[in-house]
Amino acid sequence: MRPAKPAMLIDLTRCIGCEACVWACKESNGLPRETGVTKLSATTWSALERHEGIPVRRQCMHCLEPACASVCPVGALAKSPEGPVTYDADRCIGCRYCMVGCPFGVPKYEWESALPRVKKCLFCYQRQAEGRQPACAEACPTGATLFGDRDELLKEAERRMAAEPGRYVPRVYGQHEAGGTSMLYLSGVPFEKLGFKTELANESYPGMSWQILEKLPNVVSVGGVLLAGIWWITGRRDTLEQARRGEISLAEAMERKPPLVALKSNLKPDDRSQEL
Amino acid sequence: MNANLANLKKTIGRLTLWQGVLLAVLAAGLYATVLRFAQGLGAATNLSDEFPWGLWIGFDVLVGVGLAAGGFVVAATVHVFRIERYESIARPAVLTAFLGYILVIVGLLFDLGLPYRIWHPLVMWNPHSVMFEVAWCVTLYTTVLALEFLPLVLERFRLAKPLKVLRAIYVPLVIVGVLLSTLHQSSLGSLYVIVPDKLYGLWYTPLLPVFFFLSAVAGGLAMTIFESFMSYRAFGKRLEHHLLAGIARVLVVVLAVYALIKFQDLAGRGSLHLVWTLTPESVLFWGEIGLGVLLPMVLFALPQVRASERGLFFGALLTVMGFIVNRLNVAVTGMTASSGVTYIPSWMEFAVTASIVGAGLLLFALAVKYLPIFPKEEMPPAGVDPVLLRRRPALSRGVLAALWVLMIIGIVGVAVSSPRHSEAPPAKAAVEPVAPAVEPSELRLPHPYTFPASGDSPGPVVFDHEVHAMAVDNQCRTCHASLFRLTEPGKPVSGKLTYEAIHEGPLCASCHNGQKAFAIDEDCANCHQQ
Repeated sequence: MRPAKPAMLIDLTRCIGCEACVWACKESNGLPRETGVTKLSATTWSALERHEGIPVRRQCMHCLEPACASVCPVGALAKSPEGPVTYDADRCIGCRYCMVGCPFGVPKYEWESALPRVKKCLFCYQRQAEGRQPACAEACPTGATLFGDRDELLKEAERRMAAEPGRYVPRVYGQHEAGGTSMLYLSGVPFEKLGFKTELANESYPGMSWQILEKLPNVVSVGGVLLAGIWWITGRRDTLEQARRGEISLAEAMERKPPLVALKSNLKPDDRSQEL
Repeated sequence: MNANLANLKKTIGRLTLWQGVLLAVLAAGLYATVLRFAQGLGAATNLSDEFPWGLWIGFDVLVGVGLAAGGFVVAATVHVFRIERYESIARPAVLTAFLGYILVIVGLLFDLGLPYRIWHPLVMWNPHSVMFEVAWCVTLYTTVLALEFLPLVLERFRLAKPLKVLRAIYVPLVIVGVLLSTLHQSSLGSLYVIVPDKLYGLWYTPLLPVFFFLSAVAGGLAMTIFESFMSYRAFGKRLEHHLLAGIARVLVVVLAVYALIKFQDLAGRGSLHLVWTLTPESVLFWGEIGLGVLLPMVLFALPQVRASERGLFFGALLTVMGFIVNRLNVAVTGMTASSGVTYIPSWMEFAVTASIVGAGLLLFALAVKYLPIFPKEEMPPAGVDPVLLRRRPALSRGVLAALWVLMIIGIVGVAVSSPRHSEAPPAKAAVEPVAPAVEPSELRLPHPYTFPASGDSPGPVVFDHEVHAMAVDNQCRTCHASLFRLTEPGKPVSGKLTYEAIHEGPLCASCHNGQKAFAIDEDCANCHQQ
């Protein structure tokens, strides 16, 4: 029953803009009913935007490699093994890096609350765990939102594009964007006209940070050895300089460990502090 | 009563202008603080879902951490490279760094949605997060700074034993501090490596960590010069001129390396054209690079500038301001165009930031007064008024004014023209959507719906979706969402259902006209149940 890689195929050419998905989402997640909802917010996790008269569904893309989960310093947002990107409100510190990091601008914040949380579509992971499909997919009257396994839905998308080439632009949005997402879109008009970010990188976004973070152990070990080495060499240099000036004998200099710190006054009570 | 009033007058009379300003700022900051914690970020800030990080991250955190970088650079110079003549700089630098980090943490408490959970990253790990790494480094480095700062307090109270312990671990402590600083100074830049689509091309580069590190070294060193002059003016305590001139020489190299890599990187990424195109971003870029990097670099390279107190002071001031503009460019200017909104901090955000800066100045003053921060031989003889910088010469005033004018022009420019990237072209002919032909099996049609009869109606009307969907070959879009919106089940139109709208107007009669379907006035019983 449960797909191996849960995903949704959203065929915009079949959407009639009835907003059943919007209201099903609100009902299923106990969100307040508001009128005139056209964009995502802390209380609207599935929204219906209209671009040039065409209704376009918006919700979390549930990236295969989500930027939000990778930037979260406490792991409040996480990619569950089952697929949905979930949120643990008890961990969240409210840094909002997820909102900055998400290339799709999905996570929203409870700005008016004194104890705010991040809000976004959770792909109805609770319903999925019970073997049901997400509320929005179940509510869709035209089959514009189809829930299933990602690989199978990609095949279905290819089939539809091949069967009616004039009906679709030849692109499945979400197949490669940001390393691939669980939401796959088909459209009859170019995606850039429908408010989609069409110039996102196809590589994994978490990888961009990781290629820097993975170097840190090297920076620490090489840097630590380098600094300690410089400290030892400069100390040795000073000792030999003393020997050269005849202040200590050469034999003494050979035996002597490098002086621990260069300055004396900073670390022991000197005449200066006596006066205070 | 009268005596009280006289006392009050006396007290007010004793306040200098700057003390009055400081008090006003702190009062405004207090009000903003109460509102922010009582009612949330939305009540006190102009932050939004489109612009989640603003002044507090840009200034209080990014600028604060960077300007405190003098602490680790000087500590490394004195204790690792053993360049002993800079010893007297180490104390003010460590003090600045320690205070700086404390204030950054305070600033962070304002910005975090749930500040009482600031400790979470230490327990709940995500090693893939740059911010997780920054959180750990800042925590550890603040601890290191506290230990580096401790000898000054111990000296004050002549506690020799703990000093001995600290002395034994001091060098490893400094080395750990340098490593931690290198990591998080650069990592504050790495925070933005994951937003290639959001940060403007003049600032986005995978080399952000390198630039953040280099500019922190420059900003931290310049801050050391700057604060030496300020404390001379305020307390008559300062550092020797030849030391400050030495820092200025180092700054020439650091700024030159920074500028070189910056332009090389812009050219390599094919973004050099952005530098020459007149945009609010390019104006602020030149404010940052031209006035904050290249100009001080040239000034400090001239021996006569380094020889003059005024030259050192203004070179350092330019560098510090260039650094501040850089961090605000990354955090605010560079993120504006892609956000589609205009973010201008609220007065309360400014008030909190100004209060934090004010608190920093106060703490610095207290420390200089009560702790052995500056060497005693620099104290001017009693009765000598430190006149330096009391009167600003016209030239430097001109430079300052020009800098501010440029910044204001740039910021206003960004504000006015910001949403241009998301500017939608005027809605021309709507693109004709392809009508959906859906497999009948996929359709889940609503149950027949009964429209109740109004007063003079022959009877209620039952609308059957199945019959109508079949009639239009299951092409839902024939009626949806143009004729009938389905915003709420059972309420097919947003306006009122009237006889005219149904029988003559755009609703049922648009198809039931005798051509597409049977005419609406053919037989009442076709639709109305009697």
